[in-house]
Amino acid sequence: MIEAGFELSPLTVTFRREDLVRYAGASGDFNPIHWSDRMAEALGLPGVIVHGMFTMASAVRVVTDWIDDPADLVEYGVRFTKPVVVPDDDKGASVTFSAKVEKVTDGLAEIDITAVAGEEKVLGRARAVVRVR
Amino acid sequence: MTIDATMVGREYAAAGSYQVGREKIREFADAIGDGNPAYRGDDAIAPPTFAFVIGSRALEQLLNDAELGLRLDRIVHGAQKFAYTRPIKAGDEIAATATITTVRKAGPVEVIMYETTLTTVAGEPIATATSTLSHNRADA
Repeated sequence: MIEAGFELSPLTVTFRREDLVRYAGASGDFNPIHWSDRMAEALGLPGVIVHGMFTMASAVRVVTDWIDDPADLVEYGVRFTKPVVVPDDDKGASVTFSAKVEKVTDGLAEIDITAVAGEEKVLGRARAVVRVR
Repeated sequence: MTIDATMVGREYAAAGSYQVGREKIREFADAIGDGNPAYRGDDAIAPPTFAFVIGSRALEQLLNDAELGLRLDRIVHGAQKFAYTRPIKAGDEIAATATITTVRKAGPVEVIMYETTLTTVAGEPIATATSTLSHNRADA
């Protein structure tokens, strides 16, 4: 029985430059702010940042790892509130994703996801809706 | 070479349909570090955000609209939402159409919202994506 207040297992993902390059290739998103410090800084960013869609893809793993079938995801949205800057080193940048069931009604569970890098939230209003059986 | 509220309602269809391949799904799942078995094999479904990869082909048409004068390297993705009718599956042939829904200006920054519908070429609905982009026309 799934109830409001249930906390899903958190997940920490480390993003390195090589991960960003691989995501760029797989997704076709070659925006230079995700691979060129020069281009990122020209736009006023502190450096190369993670693709928002890559962060979004990582965040929902907390939910899809938990439900039996990822096909039960019916809605998913986020706001990209803070860029995740990835230094050009082997350590990269880590983001910890956690999630909690906010409510369950009519066979649907609303789950709020939190994404934190260092002390800062990098996603806002991140919410997934899943069918519960 | 500017964008304003008169552009709300403009539609951009992706050139041709997108043929979803199981190896592409696996490549994408590997790239996001997701080992879920649902994204692998003959009956693979795509990870949820793969919808954006297909939708971005319609976005490409929007970015190519010379009247709007947008540049990819001046765009920051502000928000993204998906509503799924069913997952994307290997073997699907998908058409994507993007429609501008809102345009807001704040100085040199243009906030553009658009909605992308993904359907099979036979017309079966798959997903609707709602995106918010910030485009900065000022040089940093």
